[in-house]
Amino acid sequence: MAISTATKAATDALAANPAPVSVGAQEVHRWMQSFTWDFDKNRTKYSTKYKMANDTKEQFKLIAKEYARMESVKDERQFGSLQDVLTRVDAANRVHPKWNESMKVISNFLEVGEYNAIAATGMLWDSATAPEQKNGYLGQVLDEIRHTNQCAYINYYFAKQGQDAAGHNDARRTRAIGPLWKGMKRVFSDGFISGDAVECSINLQLVGEACFTNPLIVAVTEWASANGDEMTPTVFLSIETDELRHMANGYQTVVSIANDEAASKYLNTDLNNAFWTQQKYFTPVLGMMFEYGSHFKVEPWVKTWNRWVYEDWGGIWIGRLGKYGVESPRSLRDAKKDAYWAHHDLFLIAYALWPTGFFRLSLPTQEEAEWYEANYPGWYDMYGKVYDEWRARGCEDPSSGFLPIQWFIENNHPIYIDRVSQVPFCPSYCKGESTLRVLEFNGKKHSFSDQWGERMWLSEPERYECQNIFEQYEGRELSDVIAEGFGVRSDGKTLISQPHTNKDGKLWTLDDIKRINCVFSDPLKAL
Amino acid sequence: MTIEVNGGRRGLTDPEIAAVIMAAVPDKPLETQRKMNYFMKPRGKRINEYEVLCCYSQPTPDWIPGGLDWGDWTQKFHGGRPSWSNESTEMRSSDWLAHRDPAFRWHALYVKDKAEEWRYTDRFLKAYSADGHVRSIDPVWRDEVLGDYLGAFGFYEYGLFNSHSSVVRDCLGDTLRMSSAMIGLDKVDNAQMIQAERTFLSKLVPGFPESTDIPKQEWTKGTIFKGARELVQDIWQATYDWNEILFSGHMICDPIFGQFVRREFFMRLSSYYGDNLTPFFINQMQLYFSQTKGITTDMFHTCLGADVEFGDYNNRLMRAWANKWLPRTVNALKDFMAIYATIPEIKGVSDKAAIEAALVRVFADWKRDFADPINYKVDTAALVKTVLSGLK
Ligand SMILES: [Fe+2]
Ligand SMILES: [Fe+2]
Repeated sequence: MAISTATKAATDALAANPAPVSVGAQEVHRWMQSFTWDFDKNRTKYSTKYKMANDTKEQFKLIAKEYARMESVKDERQFGSLQDVLTRVDAANRVHPKWNESMKVISNFLEVGEYNAIAATGMLWDSATAPEQKNGYLGQVLDEIRHTNQCAYINYYFAKQGQDAAGHNDARRTRAIGPLWKGMKRVFSDGFISGDAVECSINLQLVGEACFTNPLIVAVTEWASANGDEMTPTVFLSIETDELRHMANGYQTVVSIANDEAASKYLNTDLNNAFWTQQKYFTPVLGMMFEYGSHFKVEPWVKTWNRWVYEDWGGIWIGRLGKYGVESPRSLRDAKKDAYWAHHDLFLIAYALWPTGFFRLSLPTQEEAEWYEANYPGWYDMYGKVYDEWRARGCEDPSSGFLPIQWFIENNHPIYIDRVSQVPFCPSYCKGESTLRVLEFNGKKHSFSDQWGERMWLSEPERYECQNIFEQYEGRELSDVIAEGFGVRSDGKTLISQPHTNKDGKLWTLDDIKRINCVFSDPLKAL
Repeated sequence: MTIEVNGGRRGLTDPEIAAVIMAAVPDKPLETQRKMNYFMKPRGKRINEYEVLCCYSQPTPDWIPGGLDWGDWTQKFHGGRPSWSNESTEMRSSDWLAHRDPAFRWHALYVKDKAEEWRYTDRFLKAYSADGHVRSIDPVWRDEVLGDYLGAFGFYEYGLFNSHSSVVRDCLGDTLRMSSAMIGLDKVDNAQMIQAERTFLSKLVPGFPESTDIPKQEWTKGTIFKGARELVQDIWQATYDWNEILFSGHMICDPIFGQFVRREFFMRLSSYYGDNLTPFFINQMQLYFSQTKGITTDMFHTCLGADVEFGDYNNRLMRAWANKWLPRTVNALKDFMAIYATIPEIKGVSDKAAIEAALVRVFADWKRDFADPINYKVDTAALVKTVLSGLK
C-alpha cells in the first residue's frame, strides 16, 4: 500500500470507529518466536548431549510487563495479609514452638533451592534455542528471584514478630555448621546448576519441582496451619502459583529433546539419577521435618509420599511423558522402601548431633511415641526406647554432661556420610535401606549408603569430591566448631540450637558443651 | 486431645488446638536480636529490606570472596569443573556480595514498578488511539522508520537481552545475579515494546505491517545495523567472562550506540515528524537505561573499581576492555549514520550540524559517566569525526 493512502485509510478508519484500542500481551508474544536470528557463533555456552529443538513453543505466552502485572497482584495480596491482619492478631506468637523451629530450616533451605534455581534457569535460558522456550525459562528466572525473597520473608517475619528469632535471623550464616547442610546443597544447589544443562533441568523441573515441590510446598502448608502457622501458607501457596509454569518448562524441555537420538540413549538414565539424587535427601528430610518438627500431625509421611511421589509423579506425571520414551525410574522401588523408615533413621542422627543445628529439636513426647508406633509398627523397639534412654540420662538438661552422640560411640554405631548425597547414615543401627560400601580412590576413602549413588560415583568420581563434615571437623572440639560457625545467640554464650522446646527448660551454653569435651573424628580413618 | 488433626483444622482458629499451642509458647521471646542478617554490613546506615531479603542468599564457600560457607561443591560439572569459581571472570574482588541496586529493588518492588508501567501503557494507548493522534505522523517516518528501522532496533535489544543468560548462570554474587536478571528483563521488555508499538500501529493504520519480516531482513542483511549486529552477537555469544559481558554491553555499547539510537535519533526526531507515540515507549526504555546505569556503575565503579585490594587492577582491566569494545561500538554508530539518508531532512534537526551536536552529547555523557571514572583517556572529538564519516 502506498504511503499516502495508508494515512487516508487511517483517517477513514478512525472516522468509522473511534473506539479506544490497545495492545494485549498475547498479540506481542505471537511474534516472539521470530525475535532471534541465525549467526555463526549462536550456540549455548553450556554443553549438553541433547539437542533442543528450534521450534519449541511455550504455553503461557507472557511478556515482561504482563508477567510483572500478574506477580505484583499476587504480591499485594500476600504481603497485605502478612503485614495487616496476621500481624494484628500476633499470629507469629500463636505458632507451636516446635513448628517455629522447623520453619527456620524449611524456609531457609527452600530459599537455597529457589536461589540456585535462578542460576539453573539462567543456564536453560542460554541453552534453549527457541525464543519461546527461552522466554519460559526467563519467566522462571524471575520467579525464582521472587521465591528467594519470599522464603527470606518468612524467616524475616518470624524473626521480627515471633517467639524465638535466633536461627531465623541468621540462618544464612549458621546453616553450614550441621549435618543437613551439605546434602541440601547437593539436591538444591549443585544438582540444579552443575552438569549437562538438560540433566540439570531434569533435576530441577522434572524431579525437584514436579515431584517434590508438591510435598514440600503444598503439604508443608497443611502441617503449618495445623500447628498454628498461617504465615507459611500465605507465602508458600503464592509461590506454588508460579510452579505450574515451571513444571510446564520441565515438560517442554523433554518435548524439545524428544526427537533427538540422544534422548533414547540417555534420558532415562539421567532421570533415574536425578530422581535418586533428589529423593535420597528429600524423602528422609521432609518426613523428618513434618513428623518430628511438629506437635500436631496431619498424616503419616509414608502416606503423603506414596500419594504424591509414587502415584502422582511416578505414575501419572511420568506416564504423560511416556509418549516421549520416558519411563518410571528404576530406583523408584528402592525409594519407596526408604519412605517408610529413612526419616526415622535420620532424626535419630540429627537429634544426636543437635548442637550443630541452628534450630531447637525435641524428643518425641509420650503421645507422639504412641502415634509413631500406631503408624509405623516396630518404631518403639528401634527408636522409642533409645529416646527414653537419652531422656533418662538427661540429654535435655545442660548439667547432665550427656550428648546423645555419646550413645552412638558407646554402642559402637559409627555414623558415616554418603559421599554422593552427603546424607549421614548409621549402617549398624537403622531400619531403612542404607548399607555401608567403602571405596578407595586417589588415596582417599569414600563411604556410600546405596547402590545408585555408588554407581554415579563410580562412573564420574571427579564430580563428587566434596569433603564431609567429619573430614572437615576432624580433631576439633565441638564447642569450638559451634563458636566458629556463629552458632550462639546474642548473649554470646547460649546456643541457638537446643535439645528441647520446653518453655521452662534450661538452655545450653557453649560452656556446657565444652565441659563434655566432644571431639570430632572421621569414621573412615578407623576402617 | 489427639495429636493427629485432619479435615483442615487450623491451629490459629481452632480453640482446642490453639489452647495446646498457647500453653507451649514461651512467656517471653527467647531472643532479643530480631533483625534478620544483623551480622552484615549495610550499604547505608541501617540494613534495609532489600539487604535482608537478598544478601547472603547465595551459598558460596569463603574461597569465593564474600562467601560464608566452607568447603567444596557437592556436585560438579562433568569433568570436575566447579559450580561457581573465581576463574569465571578476569575481574577480582575482595567481596563478590558487595553490589547493591542503588534503588534497593527486590522482586516485589521491581515488578510493582513494571506493572504500573504496563497499566499506564494500556491507558495511554487507548487515549492515543481514540484521540486520532496517529493521523499526524509523517508517512515516511511512520512506514520506513518505525516500520523497518525501529523494528530492526528491536533485535539489538533482544540480542543484548540474551547476553544476560550466562551472566545469570555464572556470576558470583546474589545481588549481582538478581540485578543481572532484572536488567536483562528490561532489555527484552524494550524489544517487546517495540513490537507492541508496531502491532498497535498496524491496528490504527490499515496496511501497516506488524510482521517482523522486514525489520529482520534489515537487521540481518542491511548495512545500517551491520556494525551493531556484529557487536551484539559478540557480546551475546562470543564472550564468556560474565563481567566482560556486562561491561561491554552496559558500559560501552549501550551508553553509546543504544543511547544515540534511542535518545538522539528516535526520541528527539520523532516529534518533528509528528510522532508522539514513539517517545512514550522510548521514555520507558530510557527509564530502564538510567536504572541499569545505576546498577552497572555500582558494580564496576563503586565495587570493583574501588575495591581496596584489587581496584587498580580492575580499573586497568576495564581500560583494556574499553580498548577492545569502544572501536567496535564507534563503528556500529558509523554504520547507523546511513539512516539519515532515508528520512526527509529538517534543517537544524536532522542535518549534519544537528547530528554532530547529538553525537557530541552522547560521547560527552559517556566520557563523564563511564570513561573518566576508570581513568580512560579518550579523544571524543576524534570519535565523533569517525562516526560522522558514515553519513551518506
Ligand atoms: Fe521456585
Ligand atoms: Fe520453581
